[in-house]
Amino acid sequence: MPTEHSADPVLTARDLTRHYHVSRGLFKGDAVVRALNGVSFELYPGQTLAVVGESGCGKSTLARALTLIEEPTSGSLQIGGREVAGASRADRAQLRRDVQMVFQNPYASLNPRQKIGDQLAEPLIINTSLSRSERREHVQEMMRQVGLRPEHYQRYPHMFSGGQRQRIALARAMMLTPKVLIADEPTSALDVSIQAQVLNLFKDLQEEFGTAYVFISHNLAVVRHVADQVLVMYLGKPAEMGPRDKLYERPLHPYTQALLSATPSLRPAPDKPRIKIQGELPNPLSPPSGCVFNTRCPHATEHCRQEEPALREVDGRQVACHYAERFVEGGEISIAS
Amino acid sequence: MSLLDIHNLNVRFGGRDAPPVVEGLDLSIDAGEVLAIVGESGSGKSVTMMALMGLIDHPGIVTADQMQFLGHDLLTIRGRKRRQLIGKDMAMVFQDPMTALNPAYTVGYQIEEVLRQHLNLKGSAARKRALELLERVEIPAAESRLDAYPHQLSGGMSQRVAIAMAIAGEPRLLIADEPTTALDVTIQAQIMDLLLALQRDQGMALILITHDLAVVAETARDVCVMYAGQAVEKGHIPTLFDAPAHPYTEALLAAIPEQGQGERLATLPGIVPGRYDRPTGCLLAPRCPYVQNRCQKRPALEPYDRGAVRCFFPRNMAPGEAPSVSAEHRLEVGGHHYAH
Repeated sequence: MPTEHSADPVLTARDLTRHYHVSRGLFKGDAVVRALNGVSFELYPGQTLAVVGESGCGKSTLARALTLIEEPTSGSLQIGGREVAGASRADRAQLRRDVQMVFQNPYASLNPRQKIGDQLAEPLIINTSLSRSERREHVQEMMRQVGLRPEHYQRYPHMFSGGQRQRIALARAMMLTPKVLIADEPTSALDVSIQAQVLNLFKDLQEEFGTAYVFISHNLAVVRHVADQVLVMYLGKPAEMGPRDKLYERPLHPYTQALLSATPSLRPAPDKPRIKIQGELPNPLSPPSGCVFNTRCPHATEHCRQEEPALREVDGRQVACHYAERFVEGGEISIAS
Repeated sequence: MSLLDIHNLNVRFGGRDAPPVVEGLDLSIDAGEVLAIVGESGSGKSVTMMALMGLIDHPGIVTADQMQFLGHDLLTIRGRKRRQLIGKDMAMVFQDPMTALNPAYTVGYQIEEVLRQHLNLKGSAARKRALELLERVEIPAAESRLDAYPHQLSGGMSQRVAIAMAIAGEPRLLIADEPTTALDVTIQAQIMDLLLALQRDQGMALILITHDLAVVAETARDVCVMYAGQAVEKGHIPTLFDAPAHPYTEALLAAIPEQGQGERLATLPGIVPGRYDRPTGCLLAPRCPYVQNRCQKRPALEPYDRGAVRCFFPRNMAPGEAPSVSAEHRLEVGGHHYAH
């Protein structure tokens, strides 16, 4: 973790864990899905943490925990230095203002029967005591900042394209100038040229307001563009976390390596190693013993099947692999068992 | 003669005078080739393939000067003959494997149905062949999967089953419409590798429809870029990506956040024109940074050394290389049409 931050972290997660109980029918006991397991990070103002992983890796569970939609099973979460667990009702209301969210699908996240202006004003009605005219002024100002025209105030969501709707959703999330914005796959429903417009807008707003972003995505090219820190997750557990360039230039966890190698590139290097990982995500109801990635890892040994690797510091980032050190030098990817 | 030859394909919805969704498209592919069709939503790439497969129903209108596949005229072929051709010699893999399979039947039944219809295989012979096909698409424990229902399979597995169904009739042409868009990135790589291996081994022609230029760069050699229903550029990888000729191709490439230095991305302002605000001139003109007076006319798709381009002022041209693009004069009438 870089240390030269003047400010305190706006978001601190320590061992954040969320388990779900799933019914398996009448005569069997409940099973436990460990959707989120021991995730820790610190997020500073104006920084972006990207969370990467495939479906079922716990990205969205993390988003729900961070936005206080769900209580974590254990672990601690601090927003702006204040502990969430045990906060009073009034405190929680205040904490919620500080963390806002933008969703993946802009066609589903806006109320189709409410005018744009009213949707943007709603957070102000609930959370502030501004007068009607002051609210309108605030809304117009935010609309200008996200590139919407004043006449859009009276329009309904169906009159906008996907890219414009995502601008509206972003404006709504920014109305209360939150400290942290959680964006769950905000551009994956958009075309490439529209995605570029929206990513630029994210960047502009971050510079303007100093908001910290948690950017959840499966697209590694987009993540490389927006992130300062990257957290790679697999089956609810952090696999590797650290500064963007460290991870992209020399990934130390075999899962990060596989993800990067599977991501198609515009100019594929002829000598690009194609690490093929076999099979699919194991059933989260019965995760494999030892390292959760061992069923698909090309380097897995007996040791990996028996003992779970702890997340530890290697070469300037955190990584959960028994053999991380061997990847640091590069080249040597053969592991004798 | 090419395996597939299309000349001046037009597709409209809502009457003969409605604005075209696909406009004046020429396309041809030979046996064993891979052609990628690239474009954003509304570019007409999926509608083109649906027109090929005969999936456009009333009120859609498909017209073309020529639409030949394996020597058959796709515009006039009807009924039983059409059903023998489509799904056997020309097959398609769709974007969302969860909706492409019938949830009420087992995987085995659905594959056997193709074999029964097209190859007249029945009973144990059909089951044996279905098992071979599942093994061919690398489904683990294929035997037990034959009796599985689609909801018991993951997205990647379902897409493998859909591919098994598509190749059951040993097609000459396989159309894959965004086959990996709904899948996770590691599964995406597996499915692309599988499609290309099948294409090579069976000598099929493959038309790959995608919005992802990086997928194109890793799989295809021939590319057709579409914008608002028109082909705007044709060319080959990697020259097309190193020196794009059409401003739209150039903008698409610049908008990809691949280099990741964290600076602003280049963007095209605005959005793809809708049905009723199609410009009369070049379709990109309202968004194009290089627009000039001449762009109020509609440019024609003009071939040159490295491919073909539909622009009066093409980019990245070597001296003397630029084609002289004239305004389009092709009439859109004529040709046969079919409407169901």
